[in-house]
Amino acid sequence: MVYKNPPLTPPKEGNSSSPLGRLGGDFVHISHLNLQYAGQVVLDDLNWSIHNGENWVIGGKSGTGKTSLAKAIAGQEKFAGEITFHFNEQLNLPARAYYVSNWYQFTNLEGDRNFYYQQRYNKFQKNDTLTVYADLMHFGAKNNLQYADVEHILHALGFENCKDTQLIELSSGEHKKLQLVQALWLCPQLLIIDEPFTGLDKQSRANLLDLFDEISHKGTTLILITNDQHLPSCINRFAEIENGKLKVVQSASDFSQDNAREKKSLPYFLQREPAVTSQTMVELKNVSVRYGDKVVLKNVSWTVHAGEKWLLQGPNGSGKSTLLSLLNGDHPQAYASDIWLFGTKRGSGESIWDIKEKIGIISPEMHWYFDKSATVWHTIASGFYDSIGWFIDVKYEEKKQIEQLLDFFDLLPNKDQLLHTLPLGKQRLALLARTIIKNPQLLILDEPCQGLDIAQTTHFNAVVDELCAHGKTLIYVGHYESQLPSCIDHKLILERGEVIRDPSIAISSKVICK
Amino acid sequence: MANYFNTLPLREQLNQLGHAEFMDSAEFADGVNTLKGKKIVIVGCGAQGLNQGLNLRDSGLDVSYALRKEAIDQKRDSWKNATDNNFNVGTYEELIPNADLVINLTPDKQHTAVINAVQPLMKQGAALSYSHGFNIVEEGMQIRKDITVIMVAPKCPGSEVRAEYLRGFGVPTLIAVHPENDPEGKGWPYAKAYCVGTGGHRAGVLKSSFVAEVKSDLMGEQTILCGLLQTGSILSFDKMIEKGIDAGYASKLVQYGVEVITEALKHGGVSGMMDRLSNPAKIKAFQVSEELKDIMRPLFQKHQDDIMSGEFSKTMMEDWANGDANLLKWRAETGETAFEKTPAGDVKIGEQEYFDNYLLMVAFVRAGVELAFETMVEAGIKPESAYYESLHETPLIANTIARKKLFEMNRVISDTAEYGCYLFDQACKPLLTDFMKKVDTDLVGKNFNEGKDGSVDNVQLVQVNEILRTHPVEIVGTKLRKAMTAMKAIKTV
Repeated sequence: MVYKNPPLTPPKEGNSSSPLGRLGGDFVHISHLNLQYAGQVVLDDLNWSIHNGENWVIGGKSGTGKTSLAKAIAGQEKFAGEITFHFNEQLNLPARAYYVSNWYQFTNLEGDRNFYYQQRYNKFQKNDTLTVYADLMHFGAKNNLQYADVEHILHALGFENCKDTQLIELSSGEHKKLQLVQALWLCPQLLIIDEPFTGLDKQSRANLLDLFDEISHKGTTLILITNDQHLPSCINRFAEIENGKLKVVQSASDFSQDNAREKKSLPYFLQREPAVTSQTMVELKNVSVRYGDKVVLKNVSWTVHAGEKWLLQGPNGSGKSTLLSLLNGDHPQAYASDIWLFGTKRGSGESIWDIKEKIGIISPEMHWYFDKSATVWHTIASGFYDSIGWFIDVKYEEKKQIEQLLDFFDLLPNKDQLLHTLPLGKQRLALLARTIIKNPQLLILDEPCQGLDIAQTTHFNAVVDELCAHGKTLIYVGHYESQLPSCIDHKLILERGEVIRDPSIAISSKVICK
Repeated sequence: MANYFNTLPLREQLNQLGHAEFMDSAEFADGVNTLKGKKIVIVGCGAQGLNQGLNLRDSGLDVSYALRKEAIDQKRDSWKNATDNNFNVGTYEELIPNADLVINLTPDKQHTAVINAVQPLMKQGAALSYSHGFNIVEEGMQIRKDITVIMVAPKCPGSEVRAEYLRGFGVPTLIAVHPENDPEGKGWPYAKAYCVGTGGHRAGVLKSSFVAEVKSDLMGEQTILCGLLQTGSILSFDKMIEKGIDAGYASKLVQYGVEVITEALKHGGVSGMMDRLSNPAKIKAFQVSEELKDIMRPLFQKHQDDIMSGEFSKTMMEDWANGDANLLKWRAETGETAFEKTPAGDVKIGEQEYFDNYLLMVAFVRAGVELAFETMVEAGIKPESAYYESLHETPLIANTIARKKLFEMNRVISDTAEYGCYLFDQACKPLLTDFMKKVDTDLVGKNFNEGKDGSVDNVQLVQVNEILRTHPVEIVGTKLRKAMTAMKAIKTV
């Protein structure tokens, strides 16, 4: 079936009278694909044939149109040109192209999406969103799937304990998993996944590679958009997009990389050491957090002294975000716990704004729920007031600092653009700028490089190292040792809400284990 | 208990009705200090109770919840809401005697029972806060003379109060001190500190009175906010079905259209909404809304008169005493309308299409906002109060219709608003019978601009624009929206 400007759901049935056989034949044929975004040419007369038996990875520089191409194939983006599918009707798999975006979306029970990033810590009896189980049942019913078929996927991704969790309570890594679970369960004839590995812990990621091989074996054709080198063994073709056209390459190591960034010196105001309120910045004594029967943190004790650079690690759902929310004044249970922040006990009359003004924080959740109407400039300015995309009255001095930071992150040309319209890497840099604009004494960077490629991550971490050389205290969450700032000198590992002693870093003596 | 407003001499009635002053942010420079270290006890832990309490505690204040013993023993939702968020919870007897400020955030209908239970337990010189003045003004509740009585009323649903606070903002808030109960002169400092604790000071605060709040709030909710949106939605849907428009399309256009259309009000007022139409459509919508204003003006005036005289609250309280017989009957009837029973179709309607194909609702909204505003101001209510209770709240209510139609709107609003909404709706539909006979699909269901060349008489257009832009609701609206430097778009989508 041939269609232009495709309907939202691609055709159910392929061209069954096609003379092309299954193996080696043309499965997807794309010709003269043209696509514009906001007046700019993204895809320019792109041609591509995907043959049966091929599984592709699309990589290369950021902002080249990879996501647009994926959405066009899945019928989610308007384009000019032709995309033809030859679905195999002998194959007992849904004849459709299914796309998994790199951003998760869900609504509350009333179809609304007005969430704030701290919402999952505030408890309200009336459930606002579906549970994971209900969401899966809904998905299964819609697509005629058997629940028995999803159980091993849930297990492989370490997700079986989340069934009763409400969608709003999931961390970003867990949301990613839910999307992957659904896609793998559906097992469509064409599966396109944008950044499949973002935010996953190490074990889940290893298991995911096997799951990809499994569905490929069943007959699914895969297109993965990633620059990652660790790929499922079924992947056999590689391409990138150059000037709006597809360019086939030999392997993932041949993908073009973003130009190394010109190193600029840190703005002067960030080279000053921030004022430190208390030598003991954070002290948690035997802190536990539970929701009903579910224990999220168990007897966690942790002390962070001024100047220390901590790595916080643990699998998805191990309690990292909850732990950080206690430090940032975002969790109501902090009031019932023995927590000291910057020398003051929580609940002794301080406001959350007293706490937030000392902390620069970035997290995937904050990014996801960030104000969609904020420009890059407003985003950064809001860092002075710890607000989400809003500010009162930015002073002359502050305006200068915003300009300097925009320049430092090469964001000057983007300053009046809406944050959420930029490529992900630039959005992260803008949010990092928001995080550091007030030169805070404590930096909390929760998976700051999620969704960035290697080059961007390296650049980002170099900036973190430089910031930390000027007296900041750091708490950094990252899954992969190879992608961390080098200044890290302490480590805390969480597993199922408990602190695990890690022998690999000797100076972790301040970690008290229970 | 006698209706408080009716016990006042005319001069004092007008004085209290005319209370409305947009407060300068400098007035909140002292932050929450007045309430620091004081014991704040909230009665009721529903959406407003819980979310305001979370904000107050996050602002460094000492908050606990007093619940009825049965609610605690049976571990009801209010108890779970409070304990799941680690608040101290106790019975009235345990917590009220030590409270410096008791915040009553129970539903209107329970106020008399709650105050009767709480008041004897309150210590000498404590303060009592309401978020709606019905109990004081209409029911005439007398509070002990040593107690300070204040009002802090965020003009948004509880979930929004919390969401905006955590984003670093707040929602527009109305504050008041009851003149009969301010023995120590601490009413205003308390109200201001409480308002800061909820984040309201960042979004614009209106200094009002119990009387002005009640009389304008009742008027707004009965007419433009709920009553007219209900009437307009049902009539529009029925008209489209009559004219053969696809039911699924009609249902979707009505359900979501009112939200999209009123969203434009939020940023640019009535003229901003009208500017979304083409020139010929704007002139048509203007003419239709002028006609609607003429037809509906007597009904708006009747509602205002009944609110002022206490006739409305008397009738409604009789229904309370009768086990809500009328309310429940009318609620059931609303659930049975064709619009309510037709699910929105799986069709895509673009944002502009909601304006072009639903010109009738644009006309209804303009007529309703301006009529409610004009009627309130004529009755002695200040334009600032009238603005909040008409134009400002319309998009917030429209949002509830978008979620789950009229049933959802009526579930979310208070029983008082719901009762008044049905009264209005029942009277308004017959009034509009002749008018609706003339309405065709060019006003609702199809694109008004179709087959027209877009030309208009220039002088006529200039005159229409002039009338729209110089209406007093636009003048005060522009001023208030600008004054809320901190107010960004409150999300409704």
